[in-house]
Amino acid sequence: MLLLIPVLFGVTVFIFGITMLFSPIERASLYVRSARQMGQLPQIIATYGLDRPFWEQYGTWLNQVFHGNLGWSQVVGMPVWDAIWHFLPATLELAIFATPLIIILGIFFGTKAAAHKDRPVDHATRVAAIAGWSLPTFWVGLVLLMIFYGLIRGFLPPERLSHPMNLLVNSADFVRYTRINTIDAILNLNGAVFLDALRHLILPVVTLTIVQMAFIMRLMRSSMLESLGKGYVLTARAKGLAERVVVNKHARRNALIPVITVSGYVFAGLANGVVITETIFAYKGIGWWAANAAIRLDIAGVLGFALFNAVLFVIVNLVVDILYTRVDPRVRLGGSVQ
Amino acid sequence: MKDLIRIRDVSVRFYTYEGVVHAIDDLDLDIRQGETLGIVGETGSGKTMTALAILRLIPYPGRIESGSIVFVDRDLDSEIELLKLSEDGMRAIRGNKISMVFQEPGAALNPVYTIGNQISEVYLLHRRQELAKRASERLDKLLRDGDGFAAGIRRPFWRWQRRLYGKISRESNSIEPRLLGRLPWFRRLLHRLNDEATLLTVDMLKDVEIPDAARVAVHYPHELSGGMKQRAVIAMALACSPELLIADEPTTSLDVTIQAQMLELFRRIKTDKGASVLFVTHNLGVASEVCDRVAVMYAGRLCEVAPVEEMFLNPLHPYTKALLDAVPMPGKELKTIPGALADALNPPTGCRFHPRCPSAKPVCQQERAKLKEVSKDHMVACHLY
Amino acid sequence: MSDWKFTARQLVKNPLSLVGIILIFIFVIIAIFAPLIAPAPAYRDPYLIPRDGYSATPQPPSEEHIFGTTEGQYDIFYGVIWGTRSAFRVGLVVIGIVVAIGIVLGSLAGYFGGVIDEVIMRITDIFLAFPALILAMAIVTIMGPSLRSVMIALTIVSWPSYARLIRGDILQVREEDYIEASRGLGASNARVIMRHALPNAIYPTLIMASLDIGAVVLAAAALSFLGLGAPEGYADWGQLTSFARNWIVGPSSDPLKFWYAVTIPGLFIFFFVMGWNLLGDAFRDILDPRLARR
Repeated sequence: MLLLIPVLFGVTVFIFGITMLFSPIERASLYVRSARQMGQLPQIIATYGLDRPFWEQYGTWLNQVFHGNLGWSQVVGMPVWDAIWHFLPATLELAIFATPLIIILGIFFGTKAAAHKDRPVDHATRVAAIAGWSLPTFWVGLVLLMIFYGLIRGFLPPERLSHPMNLLVNSADFVRYTRINTIDAILNLNGAVFLDALRHLILPVVTLTIVQMAFIMRLMRSSMLESLGKGYVLTARAKGLAERVVVNKHARRNALIPVITVSGYVFAGLANGVVITETIFAYKGIGWWAANAAIRLDIAGVLGFALFNAVLFVIVNLVVDILYTRVDPRVRLGGSVQ
Repeated sequence: MKDLIRIRDVSVRFYTYEGVVHAIDDLDLDIRQGETLGIVGETGSGKTMTALAILRLIPYPGRIESGSIVFVDRDLDSEIELLKLSEDGMRAIRGNKISMVFQEPGAALNPVYTIGNQISEVYLLHRRQELAKRASERLDKLLRDGDGFAAGIRRPFWRWQRRLYGKISRESNSIEPRLLGRLPWFRRLLHRLNDEATLLTVDMLKDVEIPDAARVAVHYPHELSGGMKQRAVIAMALACSPELLIADEPTTSLDVTIQAQMLELFRRIKTDKGASVLFVTHNLGVASEVCDRVAVMYAGRLCEVAPVEEMFLNPLHPYTKALLDAVPMPGKELKTIPGALADALNPPTGCRFHPRCPSAKPVCQQERAKLKEVSKDHMVACHLY
Repeated sequence: MSDWKFTARQLVKNPLSLVGIILIFIFVIIAIFAPLIAPAPAYRDPYLIPRDGYSATPQPPSEEHIFGTTEGQYDIFYGVIWGTRSAFRVGLVVIGIVVAIGIVLGSLAGYFGGVIDEVIMRITDIFLAFPALILAMAIVTIMGPSLRSVMIALTIVSWPSYARLIRGDILQVREEDYIEASRGLGASNARVIMRHALPNAIYPTLIMASLDIGAVVLAAAALSFLGLGAPEGYADWGQLTSFARNWIVGPSSDPLKFWYAVTIPGLFIFFFVMGWNLLGDAFRDILDPRLARR
């Protein structure tokens, strides 16, 4: 776990190294805090020493980062740090709904496929998994919009909230605790907003789920197949346990172990998928912001987003490692009995 | 001695990608009550398959094609045709009346559950009513002897629990406990069953001579040594006092000193528990130490069956003789059996051993020999007799 | 090498992988015969889709435009046919380079161990700390959007996984006896790696590579869709789909009016990637020692 520190360090050096490919003027946006400062770039260059040697600049930059100054994002007209926290709740909302779906459905179908190997359920699941994994996220989003927004007029619309609801949510009558619409709606005891938010959530969540679930499904299936071939499964059957118990209690618990280690990658997959999905559905989360920043060459925005993701990913992996030791007794620290 | 298991004309075939393999070919074998029968043979002789066939655990793509396996149940005083039994009926027998110990103890134990958990599982599955009865009796004691404020408050709760466990002990399938067992939090109310099972588990672990049994029970398999793991597996198999214990090469993966201890344990099982043991091995020395009778198999067929001393002093089948000759002894020239093992897909016609047999006659290639009793309790399948 | 023959036979017998092979084969034919199927106007870069006018509204399939036209009157049929060539180019080039880099660095790390191993592993850790698409996006932004930037970005993003994979396999293989044997016979390090260690370690890498060709094409399409890849009017599936963004919903009388602009390029991507995924999946099933022979 201590190895994380040099990795994080390396990540920051890497990001910073990328910025050095730009001219001082372009780099200045990494240090700007307000719109006014954007008009005073020469001063910025002087203040932060953007013509000094690499390591000095790195130190300055790192210092700024620790103070929360990641620069100015032109695309949305606010500091990068603020932009991250402004757009994060929306993406969190997607993640909260999508992640359990992905994991539960993936595990469920993967287990079923393995338990009925080579029978129709298995083949159907495998084809579905491969098809799901082959679908371009953006295409799925477009087609779903075409059908559910176009064909069934306005049934499941894009963006986060419909216009009148949006006005309501931003008005004084509605307290935004978390800026996650569904949770806020519950806290405000407002059923209409809740339903409206859900209606807007369905398509993006489905889009994300279809592609990611395939991955988990496939992994769970192969992990289960391996587990079902193990000696303890035969022993469990020889004890007289019902097949259902053998599969669920004995085989699956072991099969879940590799799946848990991979859940870090589910997070990465979501981070990737969110960029495209939010763009298609005009769902203003950090993915949408990042995609716009990329198109408009908003360097501070793109790099800030990349840095944020890297740090988050490292943390998630750390959590997964800890989770792993909880689930697999063999990995825990401890002595043995002779 | 009376019979416990009667195997007649059993064939097991494997339908593989490359062809059909006759793992067992028209096998006739008896296991008698209270005896330890050894099945000896090389890899591929069908000995493990015989063991699995009795419990109907033959893996896909294998199938039991024909024959009958009769199990004589002493308690119920009835004869059960195992091959025609329903899956539910089979499951009531597995782990309960007939149980099995496998070759690799490390592989047989589930690494994510404690030893105690895995052994208790057997009690919870097959001895539920008895566990409930014990729990109910324990509650009776609590209700009688408990006094003080704390006891007073919990009394009604205890009474309700006693009623619950009493119900389970009488008819294990009543609605109330079954429903409770399924619901997430309410499952905890049945914890007394787990507690009773754990007590029985620890007793069982002591029985197989595991030191500090209570502590071992809460440990995980990877924290135990090979010998201890095998003892735990044996404890798991003996938990419900089965009438037949099948052991598939239980000592093969252990080192020699542990092996000796294990054989001692098996001898004790025979005397203390009165169970029959089907002991599958490829090691003749081990077989001679622990078995009453020995059966020799080759290429899915039975060659010879005899009491152990008779088998070693007076082997009749050429394969048996060759096996005994091949045992390395200091000072003796190392003898091997010429030729190669019978090809599973295309076995030799007639007697399977004839290509390698020093006494082969023309008829051996054409006809398969039938099992004949040559002297008292000594049967051979060979054209020489 | 009868191993290869067995594998090949298995591949053909498995219905799923057969479908995959057929799909890939179809696409290969399309790519090779692109100039015949959709002739390029003379003296033009064939990857630039010809335009039939400048009207923004997509036109439905007709005799002249078999799949219709998309926004700006680009011929969809032409676009998807030549897009096949783009897809193969991106996929094969990126994966080729990535596997090469991975083999070199992975072998060095796995075989020599020690400091070299640590350094290379830390570097891969840094790259792997970023979700792939996001890092690729950043790199493309810096280099300026173009198909070349996309290919470079995807190469940079993908090589660490392969280096790790090959390193892991070499580590396993390194302990085997035949490696020591050949060293004992005086073989140089390079020879040992190339002739003995690699050929045995290469199978999982091949599996992953064939699956990844699909993933790379998907990522490239996504980047082009966002506008970070191929320029407007270039024959690239992702680029073609991005045109459809404004035309998802038609007039209320016929909401699915522009279905062809959305669906057709996407279908090409889907089937191409699926072909490779089916193949890779079948590969994985076959090379899995447990499931191989029964």
